[in-house]
Parts: sequence; C-alpha cells; structure tokens
Amino acid sequence: MFDILIKNGLVVDGSGTPGYLADVALKDGQIVGIGPGLAGDAHHVVEARGRVVAPGFIDPHTHFDVQLLWDGAAKPALEHGITSIVPGNCSLSLAPLRAGDRASVVGMFQQIEEMPPEAFTQAFDWTWEDFAGYRAALEKNLAINVAPLVGHSVIRLWVMGAEAARRAATPDEIAAMGDLLGECLDAGAVGLSTSFVDVDENGRPVPSRFAAFEELDGLCAVLGEFGRMLQIVPEFYDVDLTIARIDQLAELSVKHGIPTTLSPVFDSLATPDNAPRALARIAEQFARGARVWPQMQTRPIDISFSLLRPSLFFARLPRWVRILRLPLAERLAVLTDPETLEKMVADAGPDGGLRYMGDLIVRGGDRAPEAMVGRTLGEIAVERGETPARALISLSLEHDLDIAFLAANRGHDATDRIGPMLANPLVHIGASDGGAHLASFATYGDTGYLFSEYVRKSGSMSLEAAVKKITADTAEIWGLKDRGRLREGWAGDVVVFDAETIARGEERPVFDMPGDGMRYVRDAIGIDTVVVNGQVAWTAGAYTDVAAGAICALN
Amino acid sequence: MTRLTEPSEAVIVGAEIAAGHDGEAELVVRVRHENGVIATLTLDRDTGLRLMAGSGGGGLEALVGQSWRRILAETVFGGS
Repeated sequence: MFDILIKNGLVVDGSGTPGYLADVALKDGQIVGIGPGLAGDAHHVVEARGRVVAPGFIDPHTHFDVQLLWDGAAKPALEHGITSIVPGNCSLSLAPLRAGDRASVVGMFQQIEEMPPEAFTQAFDWTWEDFAGYRAALEKNLAINVAPLVGHSVIRLWVMGAEAARRAATPDEIAAMGDLLGECLDAGAVGLSTSFVDVDENGRPVPSRFAAFEELDGLCAVLGEFGRMLQIVPEFYDVDLTIARIDQLAELSVKHGIPTTLSPVFDSLATPDNAPRALARIAEQFARGARVWPQMQTRPIDISFSLLRPSLFFARLPRWVRILRLPLAERLAVLTDPETLEKMVADAGPDGGLRYMGDLIVRGGDRAPEAMVGRTLGEIAVERGETPARALISLSLEHDLDIAFLAANRGHDATDRIGPMLANPLVHIGASDGGAHLASFATYGDTGYLFSEYVRKSGSMSLEAAVKKITADTAEIWGLKDRGRLREGWAGDVVVFDAETIARGEERPVFDMPGDGMRYVRDAIGIDTVVVNGQVAWTAGAYTDVAAGAICALN
Repeated sequence: MTRLTEPSEAVIVGAEIAAGHDGEAELVVRVRHENGVIATLTLDRDTGLRLMAGSGGGGLEALVGQSWRRILAETVFGGS
C-alpha cells in the first residue's frame, strides 16, 4: 500500500531528459516507484493526466528565517511548488545570537526584510541562542524543507559584541568565529552568508562589512572542512567591484574546495554590458576550476514609490524632485499651492504626463481606495477628468500622500536578453528574496514566471531544462542530499502542475503579518498539488494541516 | 553651478533612471575618467538625490559635464 500514487502524469524528473508518461508512488516520505501503470493501492491517489509531475522546486535565496517560526509553510512560497528553501542569506540569521544582541539583529531584519517589529515580540517564543536551538525551534512545525545558512554578521556579533560593527577582527577572534561556524555547520547549517552591501536600520554597514579578507579566508577554511557554501551579496551597483568579488570568490573556492554563490546578478538596459561582463568572468573562473554561481532572478524589477518620500523616478522632473525632498509639512503646503501645481503639471509634458506616468499602477495596501487598486493612473485620470500628472498629485493629497504607485517592468525585463542568460548552465536561478522586502514588492511566484515567460512565451528553455534548473541543479549546487530529482529512494518532494497555465498571479496586498502587518504577495496559477516528504502539503487551492517539512540533510 | 570640463578631470557624461534591486528608482551615472575610460555606477536613492541636489538641482541633463570627484566630495561624502 502506497501512501500516495500520482497517476498518468508527464514525469519531468529533474534530469533534463525528455518527460515521459508514468506513475509516481510514494511511501514513508520517499519515492518508491516510477513507471507506467504502477500496480498497488494507495491511501491517496492524485490523477495527473495532462499535468507535469516534477521534483519540488528549490529556492536558494530567501529570508524566511523569522516567518518560519509561525508559518512553517513559508506561505505563499509552498503553493508555488517550492518544497525546499534556503534562508539566512545576506549575512543575517537568527542564530547564533545571544539574548543581549537580539535588538540589533531585529533592527537589521526590519531594514533588510521589512519585517514588522511585532513579528519578534508576538509571533514566537525566542528560546534559543545557538544554532542547534534555532534548528529545534524551526523543526516543531515545518511544512517546507529548510536548508539554513548561518549569517556572518551574527557570528561576528557573538564573538565581538558591539565591536563587530566597528573594526576588523583579531586572529583570536577569527579563530573563535571559525569554531562557532563549525558548531553551526555541525548543527545543520548549509553554509555561511555574508554581505558587502547591506546596512542596518540606522544606515550603518552590517557587521560582516567590517571583516578583513583574512577573516573571510579563515571562515572559508572551516567551510572547506565541511564542503559547504559561501553566499555573498556583492557590490552589485558597480560591475567592476562585482567582478573583483567574483575573482575573490574564485580564489576562496579553489583554495578551500567550496562552492560559492553571489546574488543578485541582474540585467538592465541602463547598463547593458554589466551582466554579460559578470557572466563572462564567471565562465573564466569556472574554466580554471572555481565554483562561483551567480544567482539571477526570473522576475522583472518594478519601481514603486509614493509622495511620502522623494523618488528618483522623477529625476527627469527637477521641480518635482526639489518639492518632494522638502520636509513633509512644507511639501504638503507646496503641493496644495495652485500655482506650483500648475507648474508641476506643465513640467510633466504637453500630454499632461500621459507618457511618463499614464501606465503607473495604484498598488494598494495603503490608503488607496479599493476601487482604484490595480488600475492605471491613466485610466483613473480619465475618470477624474484630469491629466495623469495632476491626478497623481491630487490623489496623493486626498489620501495624506499614502498612495503607492508602481512602474512595472522597469529593469531585468528584456526577455530576449535574459532568457539565454537564465539558460546558461553556469547561471543559478535564484535571488528571489522570498520573505523579504515585504512592504515593497512580492517576492513569490518567480518559478511560475520562469515557465510562463521563458518556457511558454519566449521558448528560451524547454520545460525539462527549466525544471532541471530549479530542482536538480539547485540541489547539486547546494549539496542537498537526495532532493531535486524524481528517483526511487529519494525524498518525496513532488509538484504537479499544468505546463500550459503555470504562472504567477497579480501582485496584491494582504495583512497577514504579525500585528496586522501588510505585505505584497502573488498567488500561484497552474499548480495542482505540492507534496513534501511524501505528504500532501497543498492541493486544490488550499493548504493541508500536514507539517512534513524537515531540515535538509546534506551530502 | 560652474561646469568643470578639463580633460584631466573625471566628468559625468550621462545619467539615467534605472530600477533598483529593492524596487526603488536608482540613478545610473556614466563617468569618463581621466584616462578616457567610461564607467557606469549605480547610485541608490539617497545618494542619487544628494548628487542631483549638489549639481544645482537640475534634471538629469544638468549632471552632464559636472566634475565627478567634486560632486562626490561635496554631496555624497560631504553628506549635503
């Protein structure tokens, strides 16, 4: 008797080879059979005719560290077909962390992930200090599999206290950090994350940025003993610095025999040479034996703003920038001055800002009237009998400036350029930032977008190649044991989806964070069933009450 | 604002808006260095706004021809 029998699906097993019609049987958390017409009864039968049956997707760059403590499914990641996630990126994790250092790390989480403060005071009991304790807290209610990184910033904090954010470490401190990292790796950490970019809530560099190279080298020596991953956030605002980091990662990879990954790497038509240059250097370094995996996201980048803060979106309209930089009270006074308003509208162009602002979308999640959410400023302006520029200002004033607008697809959006990059065997699809940037944009649905944009629309990848990219390739890069493929004896992580419809839904605001905090999410489209470790976690549009997730075993 | 365009000085030769990783609009600046090399640098919101203010408060076009190092010193590192 099987636990689950998935019948008649197109099995795309993660290997990249052509799909084939077969059944998939699961029992005791594992795949126990793959083949046509499998004989035997099952407690639960999934009819998958006309559907793809694939390994569960793996997201290698998330920030679900906190959310997992009250939501073991990392919603809505799981319903998008993701069965394993890597949290703890960008130098930041919730362990090891002394109780006295919690406040400073909470500030970093609020800055980097936009996590509301109530998440840390209302949503879980903070009982641990060491990594093993955090792991135990996670394991109580996991519905998704987790391969957690340990953050360099918190390791520094543990060893150096407040000095962690002031100076380089001494040799003794580096040795102590190495010992601590070893304990974390023993407790199941998949690797170490560090950042050369991030800042805390006060705009100060996070502790990892005070490390000298000797410190990173020492920590990588420990990673080398375990064969584990180093993840970094490079100076992605400057491609020459990014390339220098690629070279540095290559040195560390070769010297210590470790895999490394950098994220994000993304394409922009404003800097069209940057991503190709970075990828060319990656290829050179792979050719000499280094493992330096650049993570590239699938989704385009949107720009969002409100008039509560100045935005460079208006950089072509200097009067707007000057006014929006004024203190709030002064800004409101100037915006309500009819003469100034006329000048601002005139600045927007003879079309009243139609070309510049007409396709802005009212996002919601703030004071925007529900009826306007998701609609373009151009449409709303016509309804109001105003030009788009005037409508943007008047709408904002009517709602205390608390209306967010979205300029969609303004970066990393040239499908014909990005498709071949994503298909490049040396490019690691990731960098979703799942669970972060909560109030800025939705970090969910990148896998659906991979299929809708790069398999169906552009044909940059075959179905099988796309599945391999986000399953077997990811598991192999990160050393996740027995995951990422449909193979007998391997973990029963399976997603059943419709290849013709799989996609990401529209971005929408929800108020489901602790303290009724708002975040933007996207619903899954085309996903029928998600199985984690042999148990159905999501099906027919709803989560089950099963919590079969686990901390990932490593090779 | 005086424009400094001596060939021995790094100057801004172009600027445009780009979408940043964090959903903010950013400023991509192209700088021609003293050795003739043109490099691009992406500035985050706060830095970009300070740069624009420090260049006389004009639009993107007003940045072109400005001394790169002077603006950096006076607005970005000087924190105006």
